[in-house]
Amino acid sequence: MTEASTHHIRFTLNGSEVSADVKANDTLLNVLREQLGYTGTKRGCETGECGACTVLVDGKAVNACLILAPKVDGRAIQTIEGLAKGAELHPLQKAFIEEGALQCGFCGPGMLMSAKALLDEIPNPTEDQVRRGISGNICRCTGYAKIVKAIMKASRQMARVGGEGA
Amino acid sequence: MKKRGRGMACMYYPLGFTSYPNPSAAFAKYNPDGSATVLTGAQDIGQGSGTVLAQIAADTLGIPYDRISLIYGDTQAVPMDAGSVASRVTYIAGNAVKKACEQAKSILLDVAADMLGVLPHGLDVADGWVYLKDFPEKRVAIADVAKTAEVGRGRPAQGHGTYNPATTLLDKETGHGKPYEAFVYAAQVAEVEVDTETGEVEVLKIYAVHDCGKAINPMMVEGQIEGGIAMGIGYGLTENLVIEKGHVLNPQLANYIVPTALDVPPIESAIVEIPEPKGPFGAKGIGEPSLLPTAPAILNAIYDAVGVRIRDLPATPEKILAELEKLEKEKAK
Amino acid sequence: MSPVIGQRLPRHDAVLQVTGRSLYGEDIKMPGMLYCKVRRAGIPHARLIEVDTSAAEAIPGVMGVVTAKDVPFNAFGFTHLDQPVMAQDKIRYEGDAIAGVAATSLEVADQAAKAIKIKYEELPAVFDPLEAMKPDAPKVHKDNIPTHFTVVHGDIEKGFAEADKIIEERYTTQFVEHVHIEPHAQLAYYDPTGRLTVWTTVQRPFLVASDLGKVLKMPLSKIRVLTPCIGGGFGGKNEMTTEAIVALLSMKTGRPVKLVFTREEEFTATTVRHPYVMFYKTGVKMDGTITAREVKIISDAGAYVSWGESTLTKALVHAAGPYRIPNVRIEAYLVYTNNNIGGAMRGFGVPQAGYAYECHTDSVARAIGMDPMEFRMKNCVVSGDTLPTGQTLQNATLDEILKKLSSMSGWKVAGGDGR
Repeated sequence: MTEASTHHIRFTLNGSEVSADVKANDTLLNVLREQLGYTGTKRGCETGECGACTVLVDGKAVNACLILAPKVDGRAIQTIEGLAKGAELHPLQKAFIEEGALQCGFCGPGMLMSAKALLDEIPNPTEDQVRRGISGNICRCTGYAKIVKAIMKASRQMARVGGEGA
Repeated sequence: MKKRGRGMACMYYPLGFTSYPNPSAAFAKYNPDGSATVLTGAQDIGQGSGTVLAQIAADTLGIPYDRISLIYGDTQAVPMDAGSVASRVTYIAGNAVKKACEQAKSILLDVAADMLGVLPHGLDVADGWVYLKDFPEKRVAIADVAKTAEVGRGRPAQGHGTYNPATTLLDKETGHGKPYEAFVYAAQVAEVEVDTETGEVEVLKIYAVHDCGKAINPMMVEGQIEGGIAMGIGYGLTENLVIEKGHVLNPQLANYIVPTALDVPPIESAIVEIPEPKGPFGAKGIGEPSLLPTAPAILNAIYDAVGVRIRDLPATPEKILAELEKLEKEKAK
Repeated sequence: MSPVIGQRLPRHDAVLQVTGRSLYGEDIKMPGMLYCKVRRAGIPHARLIEVDTSAAEAIPGVMGVVTAKDVPFNAFGFTHLDQPVMAQDKIRYEGDAIAGVAATSLEVADQAAKAIKIKYEELPAVFDPLEAMKPDAPKVHKDNIPTHFTVVHGDIEKGFAEADKIIEERYTTQFVEHVHIEPHAQLAYYDPTGRLTVWTTVQRPFLVASDLGKVLKMPLSKIRVLTPCIGGGFGGKNEMTTEAIVALLSMKTGRPVKLVFTREEEFTATTVRHPYVMFYKTGVKMDGTITAREVKIISDAGAYVSWGESTLTKALVHAAGPYRIPNVRIEAYLVYTNNNIGGAMRGFGVPQAGYAYECHTDSVARAIGMDPMEFRMKNCVVSGDTLPTGQTLQNATLDEILKKLSSMSGWKVAGGDGR
């Protein structure tokens, strides 16, 4: 068996600089979960269909199971572990808790990262935009109703806080 | 042309196994600081039993919800349970938890009666206190009673409980018997739009009315209803594992189509809360029933919209178009 | 007094969930852990002649391989002991496990599983339950009909004789997969004192412990089943799947062994919702009174009974629908085929029957020109009514539900026409 060539990569993970030695065919998902111990990002299908492994690469939501690790060299990765600021939960996280948006919670990390990417791009989305924004994330438990409600609630909350700050 | 229609469907569904015993057991103890630990064999699989059982324990033990620690998930350490299946956990495991807590509470009240110089049957618990029902100012903190019970009287305030629904086997010849102790009921209305050119169905709205006895946690009941409806939409319209000559042709989510946020319409749900006398605090269950009426309600709405009845699930655009074509031919005759 | 009952409390573990700190099956790890892959049959029906694991065992990094020969008691099942941990002399569907491999990496385990050679003689297979019921059909087990049931209530012939109209229909349903977003994940460790610890994503940990005890011939005092957070079940995680294989590999290697199903395995080698073929026949009077209902259900069990009998009994009891019907006859058959195993899935037989009885009830209402809501309001069971099984209902709520649904959805039932 021939060894796949290894690459030394550096990237920022939730704001901190990290490095890893990865094989050419390693996925970002495997590097996060197996090498770096960031198990918040979930593995649901490995074919980019379920969205459970959604992370942000340079602010854009992507399926970590489809991205080869060497490709993230020099880029900024955000995972669910970096969504809260220390003990202070992100408004999306608070809204998800208050609205009962998660049941089994397995889709949650990916769902929240897709929602974050959406609100970063469209701070005041319509319900239709929210549904489109999370349409790549499958939730089998909730029927999405409370997830959509929570994202809308978080967007209003963030607009209010942003407004006060301005 | 796009045509709209509405359809409805009812259902009834039992709590627990058919005929066979399916017990739950639980253990509860007041800790000497007035918090409590409850052991259950019921596994939270995302449906929320870990929260609902803790709510049942908190109310029965008379202490705040956030001072309950509910432990499950270890077959060597927690009491047995027949499983998080059959929409049985709130009703059966809930009854077991309630009985365990009641036994712990009766020891607590005995000791409190002694401390307060009253008879135990005049006492009750709430918000961390044991108090005299007719004169609530006379009270003592549960923490003090629990500590006294354990270190003062050597009689820790703890208890266990089991519950198993009363059922019978079905007669081999007639099928007669009482296979279940309690049922829940529901009905839903679906509004759809059918595109007669493409055969595509858009579900516009679902109205869902469900009975779950007393709702221990209405937010979670709604969550079960909404999630069940999404699964019912998939069952009715898209989900189909194609197995040809024993070989699965679509073993990926790319072509086994489950509903996304774009496929689930607005849902208006209501709970008809009629307490079940045998349920814990009048509660029954909701897990499986939520999905049952959805697919037939949608298919009945398709019939209402375009006059074709799809008798083979799922109601794909191809099947609808084929039936529409048949209908046209019949009309032309 | 502030009751906790009735409050909209968030999940007890909600903070862990939204911060990615909940530990699910695949998140559980142990030092020195090996990775497992299971070799599946890949053919639907065959006599299994030999499983040659030598090429797999020769691959560097492969620490252990197990087959049916390693299973102390190779049969399990809730109502029928018909399912092997790994196929012994016969392959009955594509997803049958043939062997398990433990290796130092997932890649090596995968490579080794593929290197296992299966020598078999293909047998004629049967995929349609109606075909499988015929006497000359290929036999999946000794008898293709492991169980059948009947419910008889009233006098069905008299009921049909009283009817103004009789409506007959045939309904069929498909194979459905649970698609819990978390795949099955298992981690077993057999320690030097002879105690087996198994982390597994199941809805019924006590059943899995008990089944492990039987197939491994170990006392339950030495088996500890632990459950992590579970990422959905819907019936798909009701029973033992490959825990015994992972446990046997840990016994063989002395190291913790972990197995996570791929999404493809979830679709090809776990249980599905049974497809049903259902014949409905209902007699009705022009005033909307149902006089009789006859139902016949044929359930495709797939290769093993699993929950086939228990789902069928639940379907059987509910098959006539929540309606007052004085004369009922229901027959139900469970039939083996070489398809995927039918198991428990949310609704347990009733989604199939419910689809049929509710669409059929609509057909009946329309056949006499009655509004479907009105028809159901007229016929729905109320407290004191008797089900076809003879059980008297208490606290029935469907009449209240229909009133509420009618007003909520604007589906008015006024003057009988309903619109």
